Amino acid sequence: MFAQQIINAISLGGVYALLALGLAIVFSIVGLINFAHGELMTLSGYALLAALVFGLPFPLAVLVAVSCGALAAVAMERIAFRPMRGASVTSLLLTSFAVSSLLKVVFQNGISARPQAVAMPGWMTGAFSFGDFTIGVGPSISIVVSALALILLETFLRRSVTGTAMRAAAEDFDVVRLMGIPASRIIATAFLLSGLLAGLAAMLWVAQRASVDPLMGFTPVLKAFIAAVVGGLGSLPGAVAGGFLLGIIEVLLQATLPAAIAPYRDAIVLSGVIAVLLLRPQGLIPAVRVQRS
Amino acid sequence: MLSVEGLKIRYGEVEAVRRVDLTVESGEILALVGANGAGKSSTLGAIAGLVRVAAGKVVFEGVDITGLAPEVVARKGVALVPEGRRIFASLTVADNLRLGGAVHQPAAEARLREEEMLELFPILRRYYRAKGGNLSGGEQQMLAIARALMGKPRMILLDEPSLGLAPQLIDTVFDLIAELRRKGMTILLVEQNVALALEIADRAVVLANGEVVLSGTAKELASSDLVRQAYLGA
Repeated sequence: MFAQQIINAISLGGVYALLALGLAIVFSIVGLINFAHGELMTLSGYALLAALVFGLPFPLAVLVAVSCGALAAVAMERIAFRPMRGASVTSLLLTSFAVSSLLKVVFQNGISARPQAVAMPGWMTGAFSFGDFTIGVGPSISIVVSALALILLETFLRRSVTGTAMRAAAEDFDVVRLMGIPASRIIATAFLLSGLLAGLAAMLWVAQRASVDPLMGFTPVLKAFIAAVVGGLGSLPGAVAGGFLLGIIEVLLQATLPAAIAPYRDAIVLSGVIAVLLLRPQGLIPAVRVQRS
Repeated sequence: MLSVEGLKIRYGEVEAVRRVDLTVESGEILALVGANGAGKSSTLGAIAGLVRVAAGKVVFEGVDITGLAPEVVARKGVALVPEGRRIFASLTVADNLRLGGAVHQPAAEARLREEEMLELFPILRRYYRAKGGNLSGGEQQMLAIARALMGKPRMILLDEPSLGLAPQLIDTVFDLIAELRRKGMTILLVEQNVALALEIADRAVVLANGEVVLSGTAKELASSDLVRQAYLGA
């Protein structure tokens, strides 16, 4: 039972980490907290549903859904955020809320306000045993996918010129541009990566619930935002650490809290967040950012 | 090689540069000197595309580059080494150089260029895998200049290279600037240390309150009463 809870905790933490990382990548470069990130997740969920309804094999449907998330993120940047480049933080935040609300209405009126069942393959809901331990296939896949995504992202950020430029841009964007590297390329790549991560997170989220609804992205992205703040807003390692920490604490509290206190789980978690921020206002792993007048 | 005509820069209601006209000839060092707030760094920023130009024109090698984005100006062959060095502190020396050479295609050309830079700045080879933030001020200045040179610019804009450096390091950095000039690099140098700037420059322009108040050869300016009284403490 304990092993199962650990697996669930790491699995949920992985999803939060992917989402928090997506938020952090965009924030570190353009200073925008993209609250429409949740809608990218929802859109990927609907894309998976559509692909399966059209009879695509499951792996191909997942590929289509994740690609949709990535392309939607790039389109979002091009249509909504690029015209706002250089605007104040408040304006950017309001733009992201506007995009989020707009997409939610489109999902509610264009598809349905009710949850739609997604026919996940039967093997995903199964379990396998190690001696006395029984471990769910879904959470295990979730852990492997999260780990692979994090490793691939880290490799991209360390090894490629564009990835290195993104890390540098998080520190001092103007100087990256002085090196002849186009701002648009860096920003578009940041959104593309955040969309990919939202798409992947959506697949893992839908795999656990087998349904998609217009508000699907709201709660996980809110949690991811908390994770990103706890980790250190704009810090990529911080986002991953915050995501795993939040996921693990949530699951362990759920498993261990007495029934009478269980409804206060989120309140307890958020109190912990406040405590962390009181002790470390810049988060667990603060971002390196150049402040200029 | 570079001409700035009637440059005006505003930050909101404040007019930081009221009118600057200057030219830099190929292969020379032009020093832009003046007190704090005279508009020197703003002028460099406007040439490099970082600062918005309110009026006037910047022409480089016959092409109007006024108002172009910094990345476009850099690709045209103008590199800015900004004030305060602004190296990427969390990246290694190798990565800082790599980004400086990002404009090169193919990548093999960037590697050759990097080797040239490591020959010119041996200290950077020693700290190749160290993070930029762990280098001393002088080493960071070397890195900032090497990073700018990685893109093979035809002109380099140096903003206060002596700022915050110990005297012996200032000599090293200025020896290096002289070496770059000997190799044919065109340099526009902004420097508060007027004596040092006039020593190394071919010509100089004095800015005060966002306007050119004096210009001439470095020798002429070094012996001018205005410069001696205002900047050289005579």
